[in-house]
Amino acid sequence: MNSMNDERFFDLAMKVIARQAGDAERAELDALLARKPELRTEFARLQADARVAKDALPLANAMEARVGEFPAYARERLQTKVRQTFGRPAAAAKEPDRSFAWGLRWVLGLAAATAVVMLVVLPMFRAPTAPTIQLAMLESGGTRGSVSDEVALLKQTWQTTVVHSFSDTEALRAWETSPADAQRQPTVKIIYDATAGEVRVLGRWKEKPLDKTFLVERDFATTLKLVKDYVAEQTKR
Amino acid sequence: MSPINPPDLRALQTGNADAWDEAFRWLWPAVFAVAQLKLQPFLPGEIEDTAIESLEELVEKVREVKAVEELKPLAASIAHHRAVSLLRQRFAKKRGAGKTESLDAPAADGEIRPEPASPGSPLDSLEQKELAERLQKSLAALKPPLGDVLADFFLHDLRYEEIAQKRGIAVGSVGVYLKRGLEALRRIWGRRENS
Repeated sequence: MNSMNDERFFDLAMKVIARQAGDAERAELDALLARKPELRTEFARLQADARVAKDALPLANAMEARVGEFPAYARERLQTKVRQTFGRPAAAAKEPDRSFAWGLRWVLGLAAATAVVMLVVLPMFRAPTAPTIQLAMLESGGTRGSVSDEVALLKQTWQTTVVHSFSDTEALRAWETSPADAQRQPTVKIIYDATAGEVRVLGRWKEKPLDKTFLVERDFATTLKLVKDYVAEQTKR
Repeated sequence: MSPINPPDLRALQTGNADAWDEAFRWLWPAVFAVAQLKLQPFLPGEIEDTAIESLEELVEKVREVKAVEELKPLAASIAHHRAVSLLRQRFAKKRGAGKTESLDAPAADGEIRPEPASPGSPLDSLEQKELAERLQKSLAALKPPLGDVLADFFLHDLRYEEIAQKRGIAVGSVGVYLKRGLEALRRIWGRRENS
């Protein structure tokens, strides 16, 4: 097969694999595969490659994330792990007498047991320090051209990689009223309605409901700043 | 924002607290994003804990690291495995509890998504270190615009014409980039099939 045919086969295969091919293109690929059965192996290999791409690319992209603030509360826990792993700087090397060593072992054992109990029990009573933020966007009719910029701005503002996208209001309503992961933190949902040009905030924090709508009056970034300030104010401890 | 420069590996390997503070801030966005990738639709409340546990595990493994460039892929690999393992546990529990409802988890948007961690994902079956190595190689191989074009096509479902417009390249070049990108991925991720 010449290089022109190679390219055509590759493009057709890609479109079929990505479900972007029309009937004519699918028929063209079928005819090619019927004429050249050896291409079936290559087609199967491209399907496998596509699967690897779909699995590996999101992970590689996530690895390059630069935004996201390390939570202060995690620092002590992780530094404790560092101390446990590498130990403290060497102390006096003098060997203690046997009775003192036994006493010390008891004390350390008791302390360790207490620590284990505290580690298990305390999280059960720990109040959440911040709500989980979930983002969604409603696009009706695809009238706006800068949607990807707005999605990027949403992600950047709340340092998340997920913005749920809806094209009909019914599905969005269902999402708005669906319970979050109930066993963990309370959730605040932020919905950008691109057609109406507004951002809605819904949720509950410490028994207090959050429900406010912000019109995108000046620009989207300014509105998001107002929304972020509102959420921060409402959910501060 | 996380620090731009990677931490001093030697200082990390001797347990220097300041170096670790810097490392935690540098690594956090990546481990959080990786955990979020897997857990957001099913267990969003576990993302932060999984990210923290991943950093704890990294502390234990840092002595095995030979170059600072390995740190982020290793942390990402640990976070990925922890997230997959957590999802498997939760779904196994669901099965074990004798519940008869679908194992498909309702996502936050109300859609039903297939059970995560489905067998056969080439990433999930790789050992932590192997996954980290391949991630590192993938990032090195997919220089712009290869990675961008692959992501546009496979992750964002853009058509050739849309990709050409977005990336400022000829429509005829899109297939070329896709082919090169897939060949690069095949070289990196396909080796296991032959080994």
